[in-house]
Amino acid sequence: MSPLKITARDAATGPVLEIFGELDYFTAGELLELIPTITLQPGRRLVLDLSGMEFCDSSGLSALIAAHQHAQAAQADFALAAVPAHTLRTLRIVGLDQIFPVHPDSDIASGR
Amino acid sequence: MMCRIGQQPDPHEAGDEKTSNAAFAALLEDSAEELYEKAPCGYLSTLMDGTIAKINSTLLGWLGLERDAVVGRKRFTDLLTVGGKLYHETHFAPLLRMQGEIGGIALEIKQAGGGRIPVLVSSVVKRGGTGEPLLIRTTVFDARDRRAYEEELLRGRKAAEEARRQAEADRARLQDALAVLQQSLLPHTLPPVPGVETAAYYHTAHPDRLGGDFYDVFPIDGERFGFFLGDVCGKGPQAAAVTSLTRYTLRAAAVHDPDPVSALTTLNKVLHERYTGSGDPRYCTAVFGTLEPDPATGHVAVHLASGGHPPVIVVRADGTADFLPTPGGLLVGILPSARFATATTVLAPGDTLLLYTDGITEARTGEDRTGLYGDEALLAFAAGHAGKPPPVLVEALTVLLHGFGDGLDDDTALLALGAPAPAPDPQTRNSR
Repeated sequence: MSPLKITARDAATGPVLEIFGELDYFTAGELLELIPTITLQPGRRLVLDLSGMEFCDSSGLSALIAAHQHAQAAQADFALAAVPAHTLRTLRIVGLDQIFPVHPDSDIASGR
Repeated sequence: MMCRIGQQPDPHEAGDEKTSNAAFAALLEDSAEELYEKAPCGYLSTLMDGTIAKINSTLLGWLGLERDAVVGRKRFTDLLTVGGKLYHETHFAPLLRMQGEIGGIALEIKQAGGGRIPVLVSSVVKRGGTGEPLLIRTTVFDARDRRAYEEELLRGRKAAEEARRQAEADRARLQDALAVLQQSLLPHTLPPVPGVETAAYYHTAHPDRLGGDFYDVFPIDGERFGFFLGDVCGKGPQAAAVTSLTRYTLRAAAVHDPDPVSALTTLNKVLHERYTGSGDPRYCTAVFGTLEPDPATGHVAVHLASGGHPPVIVVRADGTADFLPTPGGLLVGILPSARFATATTVLAPGDTLLLYTDGITEARTGEDRTGLYGDEALLAFAAGHAGKPPPVLVEALTVLLHGFGDGLDDDTALLALGAPAPAPDPQTRNSR
């Protein structure tokens, strides 16, 4: 098991959070605490880059949903980038693939 | 000498010799008799029968007695409290006779004023030239300070024990409360459903952590029964609160309208209103369905809807098993209005519907716990138990779950609903 690591950077379209390691019951709180601190202007886009995410359980999904809600509340866009195959399958089962725009990588998601 | 100001005089220093000699002389004038009478401990000598023959002033002072009232008139045991007397008779005296000496025994002596003093007593038997015992010499030390210290220690220990007892009682009460709450999340037993066989199992990953999975089976009207199974995101008390809300909302919703999509829509509304904007979104995945057994054919019609839950498995009596797909159903509670996917099937005698939470398919397998058990493995396992009644299937899955060991780190709920296989035809059996 590897601990969660989150790095933030600014792209042309808005903030990009890169998630590394396991996003689960024990670590999802870190992301939940970070989300409200992200400043989002209306029309900008919050991107979560999941290329380094190794595991995501229901608590992890919860945190992704919180990020989506945070973006909506700020009238900003939201997108996931580089979702690992296993998590993509989970997103399909729970129907979230209909709600979260999913991009192959964060460059495309952030319009570079 | 300036440099010696404030320092202890050295006894070997020539200039101090006179002073120290004078001190020694004063000590020598302190006669043996004086030393005996005014010693910082009590002395007494008794005959072998205990009669006091000699006693020093220190001890008389503690006792508050005159010498005349004691010497030749009292025995040593007369100075002791009742408890002290008993201890003296049963332990002190026998040991002293056997060993010839005894030391450091804690007793209490009575004072003339009615008080009592804790003391430490040591005795030795003085013997004559031929070894015959002549008398007993005894020293008595005042143990009041020491006793106070011991009592302080005892009080401290009692307080610590009391705190520990209290903590254990609190812990037990908390566990009782948790157990009661946990029971409110799950039915104690499934109700009998005519024409349907049922079995359920709940695996708790952590005994102290309230679970987030749930299931239930309940009557709707004379002909139909409702069932549901689901998984609330997260774990712990917050998840349990959502579980409780979910279970009772679904049951109440089914009273008004047992249509599966309608029940999930009600739940979606309740969860969304309760948790939106709280910064901690709460949602669940759930399958809600109805069972309609047909007594004439033994078939059971199943109508169900899924909100983001893994597809249920239909195990046929002929040995096949398939997922009953419910694609596109959304998690319950994240959007103000959500779409749910429906599916129907008919269970023929010997067929079983298996509902599960992803604890089982997400169980980590393999030596290094990096693999996942997976959907296909579960499907194959279920097919391997085709034709078996629900309790047998659930029992087999329970054994499988236990086999995962610490690879199973999430709660897992299982619910199996089957149309009973026809009883074996007696004629067929007789012909074999």
